[in-house]
Amino acid sequence: MHIPDGYLSPQTYIPLYGVSIAFWGIALKNIKKEVSAKQIPYLAMAAAFSFLVQMFNVPIPGGTTGHAVGAGIIALLLGPWTAVVAVSVVLIIQAFVFGDGGITAIGANCFNMAIVMPFVAFWTFNIMKGSSQGGPRFITAAFLSGYIGLTAAALSAALMFGIQPLIASGPDGRPLYAPYPLSIAIPAMAIEHLLLFSIIEGVVTVMLMRYFLKHEPTLIYSMRKVSCEKV
Amino acid sequence: MKNKIPSFLLSQHPQMRVTHERGTPRSSYLEKGLRHLSEIITAGFMNVGQETGKGFFRSLDPRLKVLFLVFFVIIVSLKRDIFPEVIIALFMALMVALSHVDFWRFYRKIIGLTFFFGFCIAFPSAFNVVTSGEVIVPVATLAQAYDFWIYHIPREIGLTRQGIEGVVMLCLRVMNSLTISLLVIHTTPFHKIMKALQIFRVPGTFLFIITLSYKYIFIFAKTLENMYLARKSRLVGAVKNHEARMWIAGRIAFIFRKARARYDEVFRAMVARGFTEEVKFSDFGALTRMDGYAGCFFLLTGIVFLWL
Repeated sequence: MHIPDGYLSPQTYIPLYGVSIAFWGIALKNIKKEVSAKQIPYLAMAAAFSFLVQMFNVPIPGGTTGHAVGAGIIALLLGPWTAVVAVSVVLIIQAFVFGDGGITAIGANCFNMAIVMPFVAFWTFNIMKGSSQGGPRFITAAFLSGYIGLTAAALSAALMFGIQPLIASGPDGRPLYAPYPLSIAIPAMAIEHLLLFSIIEGVVTVMLMRYFLKHEPTLIYSMRKVSCEKV
Repeated sequence: MKNKIPSFLLSQHPQMRVTHERGTPRSSYLEKGLRHLSEIITAGFMNVGQETGKGFFRSLDPRLKVLFLVFFVIIVSLKRDIFPEVIIALFMALMVALSHVDFWRFYRKIIGLTFFFGFCIAFPSAFNVVTSGEVIVPVATLAQAYDFWIYHIPREIGLTRQGIEGVVMLCLRVMNSLTISLLVIHTTPFHKIMKALQIFRVPGTFLFIITLSYKYIFIFAKTLENMYLARKSRLVGAVKNHEARMWIAGRIAFIFRKARARYDEVFRAMVARGFTEEVKFSDFGALTRMDGYAGCFFLLTGIVFLWL
């Protein structure tokens, strides 16, 4: 889902840089309130962890393996604002060091994977789990948070691709950037994510949430929030 | 802050090469994980420029290189015709040749990435099903044209001139952007690129987080690799998917705990060395005359490319 350079027009990537910068500013401010002076090594740790989650290939029923994007589980474990900074840092490192995602598209990639995905995952989880602290409802909420979070991010990327022929075409009607219209970009991204990638994301989210719930529930941010609110 | 590569990150592990004695070779989650990690560690350290070495780009100030990167990547994204993109590609090839970068290895990588991110994604758009226009390479003829919902499949399916031009344009743009960014990355240490981003008023705190997490990633990647190898060395038979998932969940949780412990130690070490929440990067020093000439050259070249 990493958008490379060349696929987005300046009228798309410049505003998305602006949106991402605004979110980074708010995120750093919010984290400072919660984590105090330790925020620098804490966020670096969160970013490294976010990167490493992608390094685990998970066997999926059917004989294949896949890895998660991890933004959803980071939001559930560390909070959505921490996830904004952590995943953005990972995307910046990936763009600069590994050529994964374009330099001009950093704002767009951060918007999809570091803003849309963590928040959608976090809200989905909180809405779906209600007051349950475990059991099937909790597990379903964890799966759906990963599943819907990644699908939302993919749809956001598809929307960015799909509007390019509408906003940037040559005099002969030739698309200058991403060539696929919305009628192709959205179904293509939606189908592959709904049927495969989002399932992997959901499975990884469930796996980790089950483990943390059983062994270290106090480390889960979304659970901590509930306990604090109850007190 | 010297950018020296620890020897353990450069060593090759013979045990990573996995062979199958019988049956169809099939990569397990352990092998895929090991391969993935090995690629990350190697690519991460090999891609990023080192302090040593000669060449035009290596001798330039990192601030100038970052400005060049942003300026030229924007120019590439603004061009709407094939001709200026070809000229930029030739100019970049000259820059790579002057910078003492392994030219063929560099371009092999660029072409591979361009094929994957440019051609493979864009090629289907060359067909008249996606991009309407003059069909120059007919591929198939159907009995009749089909229409369903918002889609239209013409009777004659083929590659259009407009579609092919679009694919060529997109591939050139992807290739030029990758060449520019990889050239800067190959000739500049990562921490210097981050430090140089201060000229765009990126907050020091944010840059420090990126630099620190970059180091964490490689430290923990090594830990993770050891985990995989330890698990692999203890396995004598096939492992069930459910057990594998439980093991992975446990290892991710372990990494999480270890990372938390490490950040606590790092923070205490920072405080012990006088950290007061204010992040300051040391100055780069004044630009040299060579940087001045190179800056003027890049500016003029960029203006010419904008005008083309």
